[in-house]
Amino acid sequence: MRTNRRLLGLLGVLLAFTLIATACGDDSETDATPTATDAPTTTAAGEDPPATTAAPATTEAPASGGTLIWAHEQEPPDMALDDPNNNLTITSWIWRAMLEGLYGIDSTTSYYPQLLDGEASIADNGDGSFTVTGALRSGLVWSDGDPLDTADILGTHAIIIEGCTTATADENADCTDAVYNLGDRTGSDMITSIEAVSDTEFSYTLNAFFAGWKGLFDRLFPSHVIGDAATANDLFPEWNLASGDPIPSSGAMIFDNWERGVAVELVRNDSYNGSTSPDAKNPGLAFVDGVRINFVVDTDAQINALKTGEAHVIMTQPQLAFGDRLGTDSNITLAASAGPVFEHWGFNLLNAHLADSNVREMLLFLLDKSEVMSALYTPLFGDLLPAEGLGGTYWLSNQPAYTNHQSDYDGSQIEAAQAKAEASGYVLGDDGIYEHPTRGRLTLRVGTTGGNGLRELQQQLIQAQMLKGGVEIVIDNVPGGAYFGERPFAEAALAASASLGAEGDPDIWDITQFAWVGGPWPGGQTVAYKSDSGDNPYGYQNADFDAKADECDSTVDEAASATCYDELDAFVTQLQADGSGLVVMPLTQKPSFYAYNSAELSQNGVSPDANNSGPLENVQDYQFG
Amino acid sequence: MFAYAARRILATIPLLIVATLGLFALESSVRDPVAELRVSCPRCDQVAFDRLIDLYDLDKPVLDLSNPAESRYVAWLGNVITGDFGSSTSQGENPVSDTVFTRAKNTMILAIPAFFVIASLATFLGVFSAVRQYSKTDYAITGLSFLGIAMPTFFFGLFLQVFWGIWFHDWFGMRPFFTSQMHDDSFVDLLKSITLPIVTLTLVVVATESRFIRASMLEVVHSDYIRTARAKGLSERKVIFKHALRNAMIPVVTIWALDFSALLGGSVVTESIFSWPGLGPLLLTAIFAADVNMVMAIILLISVLAIGFNLIADLLYGVLDPRIRIS
Repeated sequence: MRTNRRLLGLLGVLLAFTLIATACGDDSETDATPTATDAPTTTAAGEDPPATTAAPATTEAPASGGTLIWAHEQEPPDMALDDPNNNLTITSWIWRAMLEGLYGIDSTTSYYPQLLDGEASIADNGDGSFTVTGALRSGLVWSDGDPLDTADILGTHAIIIEGCTTATADENADCTDAVYNLGDRTGSDMITSIEAVSDTEFSYTLNAFFAGWKGLFDRLFPSHVIGDAATANDLFPEWNLASGDPIPSSGAMIFDNWERGVAVELVRNDSYNGSTSPDAKNPGLAFVDGVRINFVVDTDAQINALKTGEAHVIMTQPQLAFGDRLGTDSNITLAASAGPVFEHWGFNLLNAHLADSNVREMLLFLLDKSEVMSALYTPLFGDLLPAEGLGGTYWLSNQPAYTNHQSDYDGSQIEAAQAKAEASGYVLGDDGIYEHPTRGRLTLRVGTTGGNGLRELQQQLIQAQMLKGGVEIVIDNVPGGAYFGERPFAEAALAASASLGAEGDPDIWDITQFAWVGGPWPGGQTVAYKSDSGDNPYGYQNADFDAKADECDSTVDEAASATCYDELDAFVTQLQADGSGLVVMPLTQKPSFYAYNSAELSQNGVSPDANNSGPLENVQDYQFG
Repeated sequence: MFAYAARRILATIPLLIVATLGLFALESSVRDPVAELRVSCPRCDQVAFDRLIDLYDLDKPVLDLSNPAESRYVAWLGNVITGDFGSSTSQGENPVSDTVFTRAKNTMILAIPAFFVIASLATFLGVFSAVRQYSKTDYAITGLSFLGIAMPTFFFGLFLQVFWGIWFHDWFGMRPFFTSQMHDDSFVDLLKSITLPIVTLTLVVVATESRFIRASMLEVVHSDYIRTARAKGLSERKVIFKHALRNAMIPVVTIWALDFSALLGGSVVTESIFSWPGLGPLLLTAIFAADVNMVMAIILLISVLAIGFNLIADLLYGVLDPRIRIS
């Protein structure tokens, strides 16, 4: 009896504790979303507003207050985005809110003048060189009040190129001894001279035409506080000046605080110059007082944080489970856009089967992209992505110049596929798999980096489709990121590709599944197919392609350039008359997935994320209420 | 006792060396960041590679991959003896010791209260279950214990988040606890932050420990001296708590020592689910980032804690049972 009393007593204490905790946890604040006239407040459960250093909103500020909380799984090791070792997506997403450039990229993956006052122009000097001239918007300022002018363009270039030799008319700069931690100086190393004509007008000369010139100066550094490359290397990782103040911003937010393992905090830039993005709903100062990026490692915990109001936005890897967990919550809005990352299967043309164009066509006929789309993506992303899948690699489905080059193969065309196989001498075996008298059984290995559930499911769906037509696909993934170095980009595989099998080992892989990134200048894709690029794993060598690629890269007119790249795409996505081509089988663009708490946010700031720009691209748009 | 403790401490040194050497060899050989960069960034120029070499200290004896693993280990050990754990490549090149210290403090905020809850609850349930052997309550506690043992930590953690963060809010319009991150603006906030992680940590450990304590108690309560005590007319309370429990707890001390050291070493799953900035997620991040210095420091800390608390447990045997003499 005494023990029972003690048990009851203990239960009573536990109950009391629970009630006290419950009472303490009244989250009446949670539902008190701020209005346009509210003082800045917080919307997380019972959380006090994070300390900020933001200056009071100016009279022009349309601020409605509140701190936007974004839960994300990845914490950057530091903020040095350009450092090739640290260039994590999350770092670039945070930079988007803080630094702007001459051109931005909009939801159609097209350039728009960001800090520029209208378009810059490029002129052919007649001697092989080209000069870009442009003007900054007038009255631009950094968040510390210092003018943002052409000195910052020159300063940014000086930082990027410090330690390089000077580019000449004939040769690009040699950047072997460059100081700034930047992996790729393509384009910057072609600038032979750069000049500030006035505080707003500038020009620079390239020693040859560079099709991606609008991508140069995609962010300007504040040269009044970062004078050289060593200083940039020193300050960027922690994003603080020697004084302890944050590096000044030209974007809508200013870096405020970083509590490692917990959160990064940004506050509104009350000197923001405004957004010129065609996607922006609010061209002025940010509505919210700041952004807090909470590092929530577990994806399920992110979803819970969103549902409990401890986060307002999540942007993470698309997963099938999201539809069930979030799609049914009326307070949560799911949104997605066709991202710049696209999945595709690439063929090793040194494989005996795949060297035969009939086999490559057979695979295309057997692949039913629409079935893959409806099984994996349509339930989550509706008609966001083309139902027939992706049919190009240079231009993607949401870009104006996109063409579906593989529409002839749409749907599952088993008879056509088998006719192709039989035309090449393949005979259907008793087990339903084709066999060739000299090449043997039609078994092909497909590999990718293991551990991505959605991608592995995609492989299995395609595997089943191929099996129906008599092709055996063996999934040969390599755990983690080692796949690239061990399979298509292994030294021996690249050597075999470059020598067309005379050297190296052509049998390391058969089919590879990659995710590549598109963009407003698609010329970067060419290295994968060009004969002498050293980065072409396919064993594809075509002088016509090489010449066409050079032509596209040197075409100044934008419309003509777009058409040229589309024609170039046909070389690798379609079978050519000589039997070459059809090196790659694009599958789909990877959707950029995000979800936000629409009960608290009246307006979200995530534009269609065609450039993998992240949830802070139009951060000034987020609004509570 | 001092001599015994000293001998035990000295005996741990080879153990630590073997443990850290094995881990160092594994950890430092799994990744060559320069080779990875050559693949991922073919256009990168030399400055990028130099930067990596500098960042990862690949030009220093510890991590220079051209050196044999054993000589790199010796260099690492030499640095550690002087208190230099190096810098962390996954934490902005901050000193490893500073980061580990900060994160260890956060882990302690969970571990210490969790341990006391675990110890109290497990003892209560174990004793109660043993005293009421084969009663309905015993069966209920046994059933719940097995449920707790069988339930994966991540499931229970996520369940608590959903229950208190979503369902409870739907029912009562309030959220009594934070479901992620450490909120330490006030004591109440801290209490609301630690509750769910502690409950999660508690469940599995209590389930196991209560079974162990029950078994230990059952063995003791059926022994002759307990029968004698009862025959002498001692109250049941005195018999159980003064005579039986003290002896039953001797083997439990070892379990407590191990559990407490494990809690202090950080819980990867629980801390990750609740986004608690402790040692667990730090270790996970460091492993994924091949941050050798950080991984080695955390593992060394965990090893030292495990060995240290085992030593404490051994010393406590003598306190709990005077018949055990440490010679």
